[in-house]
Amino acid sequence: MKLRVSPQTLKVLEVFLEEPRLWRYGYDISRVTGLKSGSLYPILMRLADRRLLETEWETNEAGKPPRHLYRLTPDGLQLAREQRQGRPLNARRTELSGAEG
Amino acid sequence: MPTLRGLTVRWLEAIVRNAPPPCREWASAMLRELDFIESDWAALLWAIGSMASISRHGLRVWMRSGEEEPTMKDTAIKVAGVLLGVLIAVALMAAGAFGVHGVLFRFFPALEHQGVPWPVWVIALVLEALLVVGTVKLWQKRRPMAVGILLAAVVFGTHFVVHIATHWNG
Repeated sequence: MKLRVSPQTLKVLEVFLEEPRLWRYGYDISRVTGLKSGSLYPILMRLADRRLLETEWETNEAGKPPRHLYRLTPDGLQLAREQRQGRPLNARRTELSGAEG
Repeated sequence: MPTLRGLTVRWLEAIVRNAPPPCREWASAMLRELDFIESDWAALLWAIGSMASISRHGLRVWMRSGEEEPTMKDTAIKVAGVLLGVLIAVALMAAGAFGVHGVLFRFFPALEHQGVPWPVWVIALVLEALLVVGTVKLWQKRRPMAVGILLAAVVFGTHFVVHIATHWNG
């Protein structure tokens, strides 16, 4: 099944690309991207369904409830890098077509 | 405002408990994040968004359930059923809103001039109740249609709660 890479998904992928090996919390991604939980979690769920995102429960410290952690899988990283490379090209195409028209 | 925070947590805990098994891990993940949101209103909005995410994910899981390889026709029938349910709900809400509005202000014309918000709340609650009853009635026999109505009820309810939250002046 093909993944629809919306501008919101691109924002999320960008966050993971900043430090690819770092596990991230949902609320932190929400703050960085400005996406609300209703937009962010469906994106994370879709990425996880397609095995582009790995999830893990934080190792519990005494008395603290565990939090869910996320980071991209190698396939996810590849997709994110492809999207990042593709975007300036598309933007350039748009600029060129705008200049020509 | 600890009461609001407490209610939000309890509400999300109830969602976690009642979420279908494939959604439960995600619902728990969203619940855990509540502890790290400072503002009570932001926590409430987080919980509303979480509920919407879980509903959508649950719907997707449910649509995929059943046969291992559902045929295109089966999927199309289910989708048509859900869309029909949404359409019925919208028609019901439109008819109900005008109907209840007419009856309310016909019997209590003074309300129209007082500018109080609660008649609108009554209309919204009556409509929401109608949609919930419709969902329950159709759940066994026409589940896709019931899901469509439920979906409309959730969207309408969420919109109503957000409207109250953002326009509330005490």
